[in-house]
Amino acid sequence: MSVLRPFKATDMFKFNNINLDIWTETYGIGFYLNYLSRWPDLCCVQEAPSGRMMGYVIGKAEGVSTEWHGHVTAITVAPEYRRLSLARKMMRLVEMVTDEIYKGFFVDLYVRCANTVAIEMYEGMGYSVYRRVREYYGNLGLGKGGRDEEDAFDMRKPMSRDPNRRSVRANGRDMIVSAHDVS
Amino acid sequence: MSAALDRQIRPIYDALDTGSNKSAIVACNKLLKKHPQNELIKALKALALVRSQKVEESLVLCDEVLDSKPTNDAVLSAMTHVLRGLGRHKDMVTMFEEAYKQQPFNEELGAQTFFANVRAGQWKSAQQIATKMHKQFHDDRYLYWNVMSAVLQANDAATPPNMRTLLYKLAHRLITSSPTPSYQNNDRFYLHLSILRELELYDDAHKLLDSDIGRAICSTSLSCNQIRRDIWRLRGMIREEGELAEARIMNMKDRNWLEFLSILDATFSYFTPSEADGPSSSETSKSEGLEHLAKTQELFTRIAEEDGPKDRSAGLALLELEKRARSHGISQDSGRLVGLMQRYFDQVGDKACCFEDLKPYLALEGEDLARWTSFLEAVPSSFTTPAELRRLMNAHKLLRHNLTPPQLTVEAETARVTRYLDEYLRGLKLGVDLPPTELQHADDLALLAANVLVNLWKLTSDEQYLLNAVTLLEYALTKSKHSFQARLILIRLYRLLGAPSLALEHYRTLGIKQVQHDTLSHFILSRASTFSLASTGDLTLATECLESTQIYISNSQETSDFVVRAFTAEKYSQIPEFIVFEDRLDNSLQRDIVKMEHLRMRISHEPINSDIIDMELIELKFIFDRTHHDNRDFDIIANYQPRSSDSIHLQTLLFGKQESLGWLWTFLKLYIRALQQGSDLDDTVEEKLLIGDRPKQTFDADKRPPLKERLVQKSDQELVELTQDELSFVEFASALAEWLEPYHDYTRPPPSVVLAEAAKQTEIKTGHPLKGVDLQELNGATTPKKEEEPPAVTEPPELVTKYFDSLKTRFAEVRKNPSPTEVLHVATLAQEALLLFTVETLRFKPASVVKVNKLGGLVASFKCIRSEAISVLREISSELLKQSEAAGTQESRKDFTEACEIVTNAGIDHDFTLGVAKKVTDARKKVLEGVSKGLGRVSSATNLTSLRTCRTEAKLQQEHRSTV
Ligand SMILES: CC(C)(COP(=O)(O)OP(=O)(O)OC[C@H]1O[C@@H](n2cnc3c(N)ncnc32)[C@H](O)[C@@H]1OP(=O)(O)O)[C@@H](O)C(=O)NCCC(=O)NCCS
Repeated sequence: MSVLRPFKATDMFKFNNINLDIWTETYGIGFYLNYLSRWPDLCCVQEAPSGRMMGYVIGKAEGVSTEWHGHVTAITVAPEYRRLSLARKMMRLVEMVTDEIYKGFFVDLYVRCANTVAIEMYEGMGYSVYRRVREYYGNLGLGKGGRDEEDAFDMRKPMSRDPNRRSVRANGRDMIVSAHDVS
Repeated sequence: MSAALDRQIRPIYDALDTGSNKSAIVACNKLLKKHPQNELIKALKALALVRSQKVEESLVLCDEVLDSKPTNDAVLSAMTHVLRGLGRHKDMVTMFEEAYKQQPFNEELGAQTFFANVRAGQWKSAQQIATKMHKQFHDDRYLYWNVMSAVLQANDAATPPNMRTLLYKLAHRLITSSPTPSYQNNDRFYLHLSILRELELYDDAHKLLDSDIGRAICSTSLSCNQIRRDIWRLRGMIREEGELAEARIMNMKDRNWLEFLSILDATFSYFTPSEADGPSSSETSKSEGLEHLAKTQELFTRIAEEDGPKDRSAGLALLELEKRARSHGISQDSGRLVGLMQRYFDQVGDKACCFEDLKPYLALEGEDLARWTSFLEAVPSSFTTPAELRRLMNAHKLLRHNLTPPQLTVEAETARVTRYLDEYLRGLKLGVDLPPTELQHADDLALLAANVLVNLWKLTSDEQYLLNAVTLLEYALTKSKHSFQARLILIRLYRLLGAPSLALEHYRTLGIKQVQHDTLSHFILSRASTFSLASTGDLTLATECLESTQIYISNSQETSDFVVRAFTAEKYSQIPEFIVFEDRLDNSLQRDIVKMEHLRMRISHEPINSDIIDMELIELKFIFDRTHHDNRDFDIIANYQPRSSDSIHLQTLLFGKQESLGWLWTFLKLYIRALQQGSDLDDTVEEKLLIGDRPKQTFDADKRPPLKERLVQKSDQELVELTQDELSFVEFASALAEWLEPYHDYTRPPPSVVLAEAAKQTEIKTGHPLKGVDLQELNGATTPKKEEEPPAVTEPPELVTKYFDSLKTRFAEVRKNPSPTEVLHVATLAQEALLLFTVETLRFKPASVVKVNKLGGLVASFKCIRSEAISVLREISSELLKQSEAAGTQESRKDFTEACEIVTNAGIDHDFTLGVAKKVTDARKKVLEGVSKGLGRVSSATNLTSLRTCRTEAKLQQEHRSTV
């Protein structure tokens, strides 16, 4: 059980239990304020009844004409609250807002090709790989991963405005683009 | 501007963009020769000057451009950066207002003027601009800017409370005058509702919400729905809210906990009848309520069954329902609560959050507690899967939470540690194949064991338990490289153990960044001057202080930009939050605690002179007027101590004392007083010399007593945050200040002289006179012949003369402690006392001052105090050196490993323990040696200056020597 509520600026004072985890980056305050000043409805927090933050999602809306879509920039759940469907609920919110408020054609996100947990999770939620982006991420320095660690999958899920599923394709994993071809 | 000139100016921009300020200045100078009146070039040069820290020169140019009342876009934009760099937001407002006046049809200029006001937090004039713009350009957005500004003015601390409602009423009038309804935009709608809520116009709000469009907005917007929920409750629509929540849960599968709370509140509203229902209705309401209660219980049970382990909401809602029923005395079944808890544990016990979920329900007693305890004790302690292990760990945490003091004996706690350690080491086997980035499944057992060890230390004061704890946690970190929980406890323990360099190492590995500096730097910077080696030239901790304050600069430079952006994008729901955020960071308690620590380190490193005294004085006085916010995160350390005992956070505080506002206030008063005595600046001079805006004051600032009175106010509430040694330091400082005040006041040159001198310096430096200072008038200013006689020289008070001697005694008391932390505390405070003495007596250094003011007697007693202080410092220093030598021996390492029996018996390798022992003992050696050296250096430096000032005496001594 958790409270789903909007992300607010002062949550930056409280997100340590999430952000001290190595998978989650802490950006400059301008990063969060920028998202909040433009797409506050695509940023939300899951909170325990005790007031402790459990996870959050930060998203935006962008693109022109049929590329107009919702984008998940960051989604994270504190280690002790994983596997409680929190990510699922936050993704559902982003999809609902993209669909109903922004009338976007799809929702997309980038994920390290090596992050199999996340990729499988998104596939389970109806996302599919649209393309592979070369050297999108910096090296994590974990060794072995190689290409998979630096490359990203751009994954998409069509919304109701795209009933014919034109925003996705079947062979996305083979479509390779370089990082400057995407914004 | 001609195209040719345009071409010539472009390289200046390029230079500025790439940070080559020097070449930008050169280019400007060249162009200014040909175009001496060009505002843009002047503005760009001013910018390059600000960026090269040449503030005085930049000011001159900046004022020239401002005087010309520019309207040109490029000039205005360059000047925006100049004025921001100088902290002159108010002048920026004036600049834009002047420009807008000249071009009232320029919409962009209007917006810029509005934004300048926003950045300066001048909501009233922001409203005026918005009004003007709305009239002129007929865009509703400006009406909403006006509304928002009125709300922000109402919320501002500078606004008296009685104006609040008035301003909200104004905002309400404005928003209802809008030709387009607020619901056309979610954020406008939100703003409208928040005004209605503030004015308690719930019916009006309800009307808006009850429309199709209102309902549609609330179903998709979390923030609007939040405010709707609020308004419904305030309007007494608790039961309607419950029905709506039920519909959302059933039809939309919403599992937001807020919906469950709404149902619970609705259910229990029958048992807290409102006055409107009248007293007679309370019985009927109760039976109705019981019916409702049964229905809610049925509903939650059904959802819990449907959802199964996939969602815990309904299971917890059932618990909450039972807890509330108990507190209302209407629970039907006394065994139900524990039964539900058991069921919950069966279902969720293998999730890490189970302990936290159940915490609110753990305050059990008697039979309940016995049943619950034996249920948990029956959880099998063998585990073959991570899920079973998590279940066992949850059982441990839940059991431990309810332990009572009689169950917390040394024997019992020792038995627990042994068990946790054993299970931890066995549990590690479940994670051998985990990638190195993952955390071990068994980590919480190590944390539990560390909690118990800390508790044992608290029970016995025996350091061996802490040694076992650090060894265990270091071991845990070799298995889970990224366990920040293990690191946080280690940081605390290493400081308690007097091994600050190890604490710093772990702190750095955490990768604290950005805003986390504000919330987490207390881990390493709290009372950090105790461990500072700045006196030896090692600025590690002082640098850490400076780095942690970078975030406050980012905040003051960036946050207002986003407030402006939120206005542009009309995201009104965010604006008040941004401003609260900006304010909480700007006036952060941690910021100023660190400032204080940094000052204490700084004076031990830099020579104490009037520049440092003046600068620090001004800054501390600003801080003294702040209303502080405490953003420090203390909840981050997972606490597994029983509810009957202190949390691990409290248990591991350095010196057992948490510094907060009282501590800060005490040290601020102490230093402001000393610096003010040592400084020649008085308020009138300061006013003339300061550049940039003054901090905003609260509405009642002028009702405060004068600074002088505030500085000597003392309150016990503040003083409890101090350690015993800090307290005696404070007493020493205030006795010293008391004693010297009349001599300072008599000797200090009059303001006109100080100002004339400052003006002269500025002119030498910049070639321009100091703005707003009439040199002519000041020219003849010399120290007038004093009419009064100098105050009679009095003997120093005992609190001053006996202080250093008392330190010797105190040092002897703590010398035998196993951890060096306490001796370091005494030693660094002794050093600080001597430095403070230097600050207080600097004015009386020149022999001429002493002579003119007939203070020879006073200076003679300084000499005695100083030499006493120096001899005590030297004694402490040599004692520390001895301790440092003893700390680094093979012997001490052996003692360490022997003390770590608990963990080595459990199976942690002896060599590993020896490695930790070596690190800890080396760290202790290093800090003891460093502080010892520092004390020596500070003593010698002070001794030298004292010799120089007492030249006559020195000469006498020389003569004496030559005759011998
Ligand atoms: C990825 C992450 C956000 C998932 O959060 P979460 O709240 O635990 O995910 P959910 O509980 O909503 O999981 C939804 C589904 O995803 C799948 N899933 C999630 N984590 C999984 C894991 N570790 N292993 C296997 N499947 C997993 C499951 O199918 C799960 O459904 P189920 O629990 O009913 O089987 C979280 O692990 C995290 O914060 N990781 C670090 C940051 C990160 O990698 N972010 C993604 C960057 S794009």
